[in-house]
Amino acid sequence: MEKALQRWFPVFVLPTLAAFIIGFIWPFCQGLYLSFCRFTTINNASWVGIDNYINSFSDASFGDSFWFTVAFAVVSTVLINVLAFAVALALTRSIRGTNVFRTVFFMPNLIGGIVLGYIWQILINCLLSIVGQPLLNLNTPAGYWGMIILMCWQQVGYMMIIYVAGLQNVPPELVEAAQIDGATSWQTLLWVKLPMVMPSITICLFLTITNSFKLFDQNLSLTGGEPAHATEMLALNI
Amino acid sequence: MASVTLKNIKKIYPHSGKQKKGEKKTNLQVTDKGVVAVQEFSLNIADREFIVLIGPSGCGKSTTLRMIAGLEEISEGELYIDGQLVNKVPPKDRDIAMVFQSYALYPDKNVYDNLAFSLRLKKMPKEEIDRKVREAAEILDITQYLDRKPKALSGGQRQRVAIGRAIVRNPKVFLMDEPLSNLDAKLRNQMRAEIIKLRQRIDTTFVYVTHDQTEAMTLGDRLVIMRDGFIQQIGTPQEAFEHPANRFVAGFIGSPQMNFFDAELIQQKNGDYAVVLGDATIVLSSGKQARLSTKDVQPQSVILGVRPENIALCEDGGNDGNQARICGTVDVCERMGSAAHLHVKAGGYDVVIVVQTMDKNGPTQADFAMGQSIAFTFSGSVAHVFSKETEKNLEF
Repeated sequence: MEKALQRWFPVFVLPTLAAFIIGFIWPFCQGLYLSFCRFTTINNASWVGIDNYINSFSDASFGDSFWFTVAFAVVSTVLINVLAFAVALALTRSIRGTNVFRTVFFMPNLIGGIVLGYIWQILINCLLSIVGQPLLNLNTPAGYWGMIILMCWQQVGYMMIIYVAGLQNVPPELVEAAQIDGATSWQTLLWVKLPMVMPSITICLFLTITNSFKLFDQNLSLTGGEPAHATEMLALNI
Repeated sequence: MASVTLKNIKKIYPHSGKQKKGEKKTNLQVTDKGVVAVQEFSLNIADREFIVLIGPSGCGKSTTLRMIAGLEEISEGELYIDGQLVNKVPPKDRDIAMVFQSYALYPDKNVYDNLAFSLRLKKMPKEEIDRKVREAAEILDITQYLDRKPKALSGGQRQRVAIGRAIVRNPKVFLMDEPLSNLDAKLRNQMRAEIIKLRQRIDTTFVYVTHDQTEAMTLGDRLVIMRDGFIQQIGTPQEAFEHPANRFVAGFIGSPQMNFFDAELIQQKNGDYAVVLGDATIVLSSGKQARLSTKDVQPQSVILGVRPENIALCEDGGNDGNQARICGTVDVCERMGSAAHLHVKAGGYDVVIVVQTMDKNGPTQADFAMGQSIAFTFSGSVAHVFSKETEKNLEF
């Protein structure tokens, strides 16, 4: 049986391999190819070499957007993950209503990015009415922190679910063993729980970083890159 | 090293939201406050004593151990370790160590770090940590695995590491929650012997939870036999085997299980107690007579218990005129190597009889055929009489 499997393994691997190539490898290669083309649709593309890259890197606004995106990615990644982990910790304790809280925290993910941006613009503008100025008239830091708040609000719930799953995977005996070994709650978190949820941390870090670099909808609807393209992120700039 | 005293300990698990009041899934008592997992638990564990808590699943033995560890809150009663009331003392300040059924090793740390974890938390000097870890590793013969992660160890090696983690702390009380139940039979026997040796080396107070009676009988100085949250009997393994306090203990301790019959306890003309089982009358031994007389036990319907090892086959197939002879037919013969377990149908009962099939000169007994007629008997010194109402041993 095993020999037959070894002999015919290409046949068994083929369906999955085909799906992987069609779903992942081909679009990735096509995307890479299109970055060297001038195009309106996928079929209507003409090869221009590295012109697109030259244009981008010689454009000062691209550099500004890049560094703005990096700054946004660093702060939002840290904030989203710290907050999501803290909420997950709170919601994995045996307290009443954890399921309701988990659902409510997750709900912002069900709202589209564009709508979310406008909702938050209205909310922030309501608050800013105290100083008599709308968000778009304010300086870059205001737009930057507006984006950070919006993204935290949207993504904390999503990452929380991943952290909850990770924390629930920590065997309770391990925590009890640490208690008996003399660990405080903080030491148990640091030396027992955190190493056990490292896979969740890796997934969440990866997700938040990629989300930050390809952010478009929320950026467009909340600040639209204003004032003067100063809050324009990479995706919007391109 | 320390004594442990439990006074009237009670553990109530409050009703969860999903569980309806009055809903009963086990035989545990359910009150308005919740499910009573342990009650009326009083026990004095002497310094350096090895106590085994034994009972079927859900009897409250692990809950009791966890209350001693501080992992479960005590609902009522008092717990003293070394004379100090510790009801509200957190686990880390009780100076206890615990070995879990699932080993509970930190998977990201190697064996050395697992052993050293508690000592590092105490901020012990590095040299001392190293000395203690290597000492424990040597006792348990795991020195060669110190740099391995738990996943690279076998079940037995993991259990040694779990025990080592407890040893390095040199605790006042050593708690073990079914530490061998995840091991296969051969390894379990080996580890049991290791624990006996370990006990001699580290000489501290042990509280050991198991549902395996072989472990209980071989390891414990005293057994605490539990059922449905109540203590059934406290005593040495031999006491529990020879003088079970009630029918439950009689059936739980001993393998194969004790045989039970509905019988009549009578007093003969000379005042001697005897049990009547079908046509057979067995006069009880003088010791039993004395105990029953002292308690002024009246003739009554009883449950008669006889251990399979205490039943003897009648030599001539049951035609020797013995008054205490009981006839039956062989139903099944289980050959165990040096002995055979005969399942005999007799008077509507399935009676198990242990027959030795080997002595120092070799095999002694021929095979038993299914349906073969046999007769058996037992003496009055091995008959246990239990009340039909309370199921308590009428001798005690």
